Amino acid sequence: MNIKNIIQCRIGFFAALLAIIIIIYPLGYSLTDYAIANDRAEAQPFLERTAPEITDCVEDTIYMRYHHWELLGKIREEIVRYGKRGDVSLDTCKKCHTSRVKFCNKCHDAISMTPDCFGCHYYP
Amino acid sequence: MEIIFEKLEGKSLAYRMAMLVFAAFAVGGLISTWIVIEKGICVTGMTNRVPWGLQIVMAIYYIGLSAGSLVISGLYGVFGKQEYKPFARIAVWIAMLFLIAGMLSILTDQGRMDRVFVEPFVHFNLQSMFSINPILYSGHIFICVVYLWALFTERKRFTTIIATIAFGWAFCVHSGTGAIFGFGARVLYESPLLPVSFVTAAMASGTALMILLIVGLFKITKRYLDDRLILWLGQFLAVCILVVVYFLFIENAYRAYVVELRPAAMYYLFEGLHSILFWVGLILIGCVIPMFILFRKKTGQTIKWIVFASSLVVFGVICERYVIVLPGLTHPQEILTGMHITQSAIQEGVANYTISLAEIAQALGVFGVIGFLFLWGMKFFKLMPTEAVIYDQIGMIKRNEYQKRREAKSIKSSE
Amino acid sequence: MDRRDFMKMTGGTILAVSSGTYAFQFLVASGRSVSGDNIAAGTVRWGMVIDLNKCIEGCTACLDACRTENNVAFHGDNRWDVHWIRKVKAEQKIGTESKEKSILLLCNHCDKPPCAQVCPVQATYKRNDGIVIVDHHRCIGCRYCMIACPYNARYFNMKDSEHWQNEERPKRSHGVAEACTLCAHRLDTGRQPACVEACNNTGAGVLFVGNLNDSDSEVSQLIADRPTKRLREELGTEPKVHYIGL
Ligand code: SF4
Repeated sequence: MNIKNIIQCRIGFFAALLAIIIIIYPLGYSLTDYAIANDRAEAQPFLERTAPEITDCVEDTIYMRYHHWELLGKIREEIVRYGKRGDVSLDTCKKCHTSRVKFCNKCHDAISMTPDCFGCHYYP
Repeated sequence: MEIIFEKLEGKSLAYRMAMLVFAAFAVGGLISTWIVIEKGICVTGMTNRVPWGLQIVMAIYYIGLSAGSLVISGLYGVFGKQEYKPFARIAVWIAMLFLIAGMLSILTDQGRMDRVFVEPFVHFNLQSMFSINPILYSGHIFICVVYLWALFTERKRFTTIIATIAFGWAFCVHSGTGAIFGFGARVLYESPLLPVSFVTAAMASGTALMILLIVGLFKITKRYLDDRLILWLGQFLAVCILVVVYFLFIENAYRAYVVELRPAAMYYLFEGLHSILFWVGLILIGCVIPMFILFRKKTGQTIKWIVFASSLVVFGVICERYVIVLPGLTHPQEILTGMHITQSAIQEGVANYTISLAEIAQALGVFGVIGFLFLWGMKFFKLMPTEAVIYDQIGMIKRNEYQKRREAKSIKSSE
Repeated sequence: MDRRDFMKMTGGTILAVSSGTYAFQFLVASGRSVSGDNIAAGTVRWGMVIDLNKCIEGCTACLDACRTENNVAFHGDNRWDVHWIRKVKAEQKIGTESKEKSILLLCNHCDKPPCAQVCPVQATYKRNDGIVIVDHHRCIGCRYCMIACPYNARYFNMKDSEHWQNEERPKRSHGVAEACTLCAHRLDTGRQPACVEACNNTGAGVLFVGNLNDSDSEVSQLIADRPTKRLREELGTEPKVHYIGL
């Protein structure tokens, strides 16, 4: 059996493999980048305390780092759909993390992700 | 006798050129869709007064074609007409592709295409026709795939079952599409008759398209096609058109008769560009001339005339879709009862809609994608019958004559 | 492996992946659901009363206030402009004295909103306090609501708006539909909508917003005392914007 035959026999297998790789490629890409981003010096988030009365974030750092989108999504759901305007919103973030370029974009750029938020919500 | 299906060679110049043209259309559509995504709907001709345009027209047109061509395959699958077996596979394949075309048209029409794949499935609204229809559509595609599989594997009983399901489903699909408009709030949309007339128009356009396609394919690939098959389809088409005209008449007569709706009916029938499309495009070109051709003994029994009539119908039904969608939107809604607005910041009164280049490119793009897929499928799957014969005495005699002629010709050319 | 098996395998893979994705989406969606409303149904029902007799000719205070408060897009082209509230001039079709009237038109926050009924993703919905609102995070831009609304009160963001007049409030990306929200963000925090505030500042006092369920509120009193009309009541959408002197 020559090499051509082998390739022909396995063509389905290769195609399936290729499909799977294509499907999971972006996921793996962002995951590895995510891990790298956590170590990079330039990806360290920037913090500026303009409101001295606030000493702590609404949740702890690790939670915020890995789940802040979930929290924001939940708050969004409560505000937009149920009118529950509590004391936490996207504006709360602005109080300490005053700059999007220096804070949000650090990680977002590193993992090449563009959230939809800032097209409509003002965040300097 | 066994009917042998085969793949197309796909090496001829015509095939390659067609592929190239379709691919070019598809690329054009992709580019214009990208522009729409980047810049917003403002590059199309749609405005705040006329929020739906050519893409929706084409979407319902494609879905109609899909439902209609499934009817042709149903002739074999449901009603057991053996002589139509050669066309069954092509018909189902076309039905599937045109439904995909309809969904593509709707998809490229959305403002936020990125959300279309998630939100409608997660947040389902049972009250919305727009929410129910995607289920019908995707179910239709799925049924078509199963149907094709049944046809390919030659399962007799299963084919009948799935064909019956597909037949019924196609009716649901198209009634549902009609219900998007028929159950709407606009004066010119609101009509319980609309879903039904949608189905009839779909049958007419689907049959016409299948006639065009079958005759064209058999001619280009030089296969034998028994005339009587097409003649019967021609008569079927004529009856379909008759029903369409009947529904159109009832609908408009109702509107013109009821005092409340009379201004709207007058607007629909006699004002603006759409009334020209209605009278010339739909009534004259789409209905009267084809019916005249098909019902007349002399012309109704000639393939050439039937093909001509079918192409007229295919065009006429586009006009029909246009005059369903757009007049209803451009017709002003009466917001203030008994008053007329003299000054406003938006377009009041009759709104105008001009088809823009971007929309045409998108519509052609969808067509290109589907054409490309169709030709590719013809090469990849065994869709094309070697011949379409009616196995009775006359049919066999005719076929043998044809073969003799072919042989004589080939001998001649080889000399 | 021949082509048949290849097809089977690819088909199987696609099926598995897509069904997995959907299952995942449903799981995520169920995990994220937020329950509980700010107000129990039936306690508050926001409504509006517009006293057209007092409306000043040529005044655009409420329109401007709405535009700046909510970053409503304005492009200077009547095909794409968005108007949450707009002022039209209209005259009676029949009648001896044909006096032109200025009429304010806005979303009526129908009690039975056809726009919410047809929304395929439940982006348009009626809150428990009766405000009909669009969730712009969810809207897919199908524009079915614009077709269903009998008042032409819905608008579509055909284009991105460049100006960001009020940085506190979001603007909208292109590709989503929108309409008046009755300034729900203000009502939730106990303030009056921007248009009402602006109108009161000019001293005209045309617009009133209040609780229709509370018979002591200003709007209920006005509706009880004065002859009011709603737009196209015969449709059965039960609009909550009442006009005096239409
Ligand atoms: S006025 Fe139109 S947009 Fe407002 S709630 Fe009624 S139907 Fe919906």
